[in-house]
Amino acid sequence: MFIQILNGLAYGGLLYIVSVGLVLIFGLRRIVNFAHGSLFMIGAYVGFSVAAIGSFWGAILIAAVVLGLVGALLDISIFRPLQREDPIVTVLVTFGLLLVLEDFAQFVWGKDFLRMPVPAMFAGSVSIFGDSFPAYRLVVIATAALVGLGLTLWLHLSKIGLYVRASNADPLTTAMQGVDTDRVSIIVVALGAALAGLSGTISAPLLALSPSMGGYILIESFIVVVVGGLGSFAGAFIAAIVIGQVHNFGLVYVPWAATMFPFVLMVAVLIWRPTGIAGSHV
Amino acid sequence: MTNTVTEESMVTPSQPLAYTYAAGIAIVAFLVGAGIAALVASNLAMTLLTQAVITGLLATGVGFLIRQNGMVSFGHAAFYGIACYAIALAMRHGIVRAELAIVLALVVPTAIAFFLGLVIVRIPGVAFSMLTLAVGQAFYEFAMKARNVTGGEDGFSVKLPSTIFGIKTAIFQNPHTMFVVSWGVFVVIVLFLTMVATSPFGRLTAAIRENEERSRFIGYETVLPRVLVLTLSALVTAVAGVLFTLYNTFVSPDVLHWSLSGSALIMAIIGGPRLIWGPGFGAIIYFFAKDIAGDISEHWQAIIGLILIIVMVLLPTGLGGTLAGLLRRRVGYG
Repeated sequence: MFIQILNGLAYGGLLYIVSVGLVLIFGLRRIVNFAHGSLFMIGAYVGFSVAAIGSFWGAILIAAVVLGLVGALLDISIFRPLQREDPIVTVLVTFGLLLVLEDFAQFVWGKDFLRMPVPAMFAGSVSIFGDSFPAYRLVVIATAALVGLGLTLWLHLSKIGLYVRASNADPLTTAMQGVDTDRVSIIVVALGAALAGLSGTISAPLLALSPSMGGYILIESFIVVVVGGLGSFAGAFIAAIVIGQVHNFGLVYVPWAATMFPFVLMVAVLIWRPTGIAGSHV
Repeated sequence: MTNTVTEESMVTPSQPLAYTYAAGIAIVAFLVGAGIAALVASNLAMTLLTQAVITGLLATGVGFLIRQNGMVSFGHAAFYGIACYAIALAMRHGIVRAELAIVLALVVPTAIAFFLGLVIVRIPGVAFSMLTLAVGQAFYEFAMKARNVTGGEDGFSVKLPSTIFGIKTAIFQNPHTMFVVSWGVFVVIVLFLTMVATSPFGRLTAAIRENEERSRFIGYETVLPRVLVLTLSALVTAVAGVLFTLYNTFVSPDVLHWSLSGSALIMAIIGGPRLIWGPGFGAIIYFFAKDIAGDISEHWQAIIGLILIIVMVLLPTGLGGTLAGLLRRRVGYG
């Protein structure tokens, strides 16, 4: 039972790291990046390639840095020029980008499924209350917890964090107070993309890598963000943890219907609260 | 996309005259299509055209929702695929006659869209797009998992009787004749949607699209009209699903996958959703571009992604809208 909760936590933790990138960008720019799942996918592949020749920690670091740069580029070349347009324009442009990135991954790494081995130092399992549990999943849970903690501290203690929270509450007033959204945005979008890259690498040993994995994780993280309430960090955290548990218990007890549970949960939450658990604004 | 004045609010000839005009164009368009089917001997070209028109109808549903509601759906494959599975399952279990199965295939997705719409149209803007993507994919996941009902990933072929509505089924499976059937349906639907768009209901939904709050202040109920537009667009999509199933006689979860919704959306954007015929036009461009690009390079997907980005940034009215604009300037009207 406890083992199952831990399994759910590992999945929920991964979902949280991916989704929080979407929340960060939405909070500041009021746009949704449909290529976010593709950043996750590219992160997984970059991590895969680096881990094949170097260390696992190096893979995580390089994937995060590379994707962070991609994020900065994304902000300068797409989000900034389109900021005066309807947000839906950005959605469609990033959807186009999704197709390009998928094709790119297919070109570089091929169509077939790739498997990244679990890093040797975490290959074993540990005993928890008499049950054995893969050590690597504990690493995933710990990483998610660290990212969550680090992000919360950053949002509450740093100046940029303050701007992000202010902009999330009221972008117009924040701009009137003299906050330069563009300068903040490049850091925030880069951070969101880096988190997608980091989660991609971390989940690579748990998933089969394919160019279309980005679409799958995009939909899962959309469910998290919509259930949690667009733009809410706490909402995304709660939603990711709950969906992780729902997903995992579904897999154990009703495997044939498991993939449906997050969707059902989403529709139920939306009937109850159309703007999500924590959402006051959409 | 939302703050634009559409053509019909600027050009207002008297309504009956406009309808006669539109009906005239529709008849000419149908005859041109029939002529193409008679003249083009190549089976390959007709197969492409037939696919383009059927998928174009799906795109027309997506485009109509953008045009009247300003809402961008990433989940219309759900309505399309449900229609496909409705016929396929009804025929497989021999529950009903083929004619009734087709009626069911139109009614079921339309009803689902109505009830789903009551929940999801309340969610505005970008969140609606995210939601339709997720909800649409739920149906795909269901079709994949419910193996004993849907056959799972493999899909199954659909057994049709030899005649449906008194028409030989073989007519639906030959690309030449099926093109004429699909093109006829497409023309009728575009004509019908044009009438809806210029009706008082169409104007009301356009007003709600432009400014929901103000429409509510004037005293209109604003949720139900948007639900009805979604329902209508799902019905158009279901018609496309029916045509696809009659033509292909095979269903698999691919008809529900979000990448189909995405392709339909790309067609609608490339063609220009402000025109009712724009998405259909976009579908024809899409299929022929795909065929040509497929011969030259393997990177068809990246090419279509780039085309989407370029159209979004440079030609917000789509290729159809740009063409129509050029034409209008030439003739010196509007």
